[in-house]
Amino acid sequence: MNLKDYIASGIIESYVMGLASESERAEFEQMCTQHPELVAERRKFEERLEHHTSEHAVVPPSEVKVKIFEALGNIDSRPMSSSNPPKGIITMENAKSPRNAGWLRFAAAAAVILLIGTVVLYYQASQEIKDLKASNQDLSGTVQRLKIRVDTTQNILDRLANVDNVVSDPNTTVVNMVGTKVAPKSSANIYWDSTNTSVYLVVKNMPKLPSDQQYQLWALIDSKPKDLGVFDATDNNVILKMKNTQKAQAFAITIEKKGGSPSPDLKKLQSMGKTMLTQ
Amino acid sequence: MGIPTTYTEQELVLALKERNNQAFAYLYDNYAGALYSIIKQIITDNNELASDVLQEVFINIWRKIESYDQTKGRLFTWMLNIARNASIDTLRSKSYQNSQKNQELPDNVYKGVANQTTQQNVDNIGLKKVLEKLKPEHRVLVELAYFKGFTHEEIAEMMTIPLGTVKTRIRNALLQLREYLK
Repeated sequence: MNLKDYIASGIIESYVMGLASESERAEFEQMCTQHPELVAERRKFEERLEHHTSEHAVVPPSEVKVKIFEALGNIDSRPMSSSNPPKGIITMENAKSPRNAGWLRFAAAAAVILLIGTVVLYYQASQEIKDLKASNQDLSGTVQRLKIRVDTTQNILDRLANVDNVVSDPNTTVVNMVGTKVAPKSSANIYWDSTNTSVYLVVKNMPKLPSDQQYQLWALIDSKPKDLGVFDATDNNVILKMKNTQKAQAFAITIEKKGGSPSPDLKKLQSMGKTMLTQ
Repeated sequence: MGIPTTYTEQELVLALKERNNQAFAYLYDNYAGALYSIIKQIITDNNELASDVLQEVFINIWRKIESYDQTKGRLFTWMLNIARNASIDTLRSKSYQNSQKNQELPDNVYKGVANQTTQQNVDNIGLKKVLEKLKPEHRVLVELAYFKGFTHEEIAEMMTIPLGTVKTRIRNALLQLREYLK
């Protein structure tokens, strides 16, 4: 077949419009490499087709362009492959050439800056959280200690209120216990409610005792001692409810073995106070 | 980098292969309308779908530009074939076929001459307008091959015409088309 017949066969149009078969395409491309006239004829038809199609262009909706560029932005922000795949093989990576427009570099730089910023913020935030956790722990410790202190204080206040009640009761007799020669600094107050026979003791200053000894309070009734109970020197400044007594000419404090004795060891008389009843 | 307002095809191809965004915007501004026209001549009844295909076409152009070989044809020819193939693929997709079934049911009532004339009026754009000048037996073959994407073998079977005749008629039709494009 000569070239003129080949051109007149409609192969050019069939090829350009994508209607030629595989074998026809291969043959046509082969012919083009050998016959510049064929290429020129092909170009002529292509130009006509382009011209005609462009003249009959239909304006697409304006949002399509925006969508395309958004989509391309997503494609090109993916990591780029620096290796060039062999020509003719179309891969996804092929579309991501390392040569890129300025805006892509800007986008990459922005992404890196964003990443760094995020890391810095994350680091700062985690530091802050760590600090907050530590100070929170400190605070909860402090709160715990304060709670204990409040509890103790409340306890003391309750007891003091108790003392106040007893002390301010007009029926209560206050007996000021003074130190003896053996223990001149020892002092305590006895609050004795003679109507309901209650006896309260407030230790003001009593020396500390060995752990096997305790102080013991006695009531002296007609010169006979009556046990009113034991207490420790550590019960400083708190009001202690002792055993009741209906009568007492005097109160005495002795040092006895732990738990108290049935009768006082008067050699160890620490403190003594007479009630008004005997005066 | 300067901002060229026009490119020769050579410059445009080079810029596109260098992933020049400006060149791609230029490509869109100058060719989207022509490609959209061919897409709409294939997907005739769904503008939304047609614009989705246009979007897909331009993304494919951007992705495949490396594979474009200038020795085998002009850039526009290459893009036109991408647009035509994408449109036909959509036309033949299951989801499109299903949506067609749903839409066509009421139309069946009017099937016949009346429907054909309205169909022709809708199709009176671009190449299809030129096709009207062809003999009907030629026109239908080009219509089936170019706008519906059937192979010559499929058309031969459908129309019960020998394959050789299909090929010859289509070739002749395209040669006439060439004359009308002048």
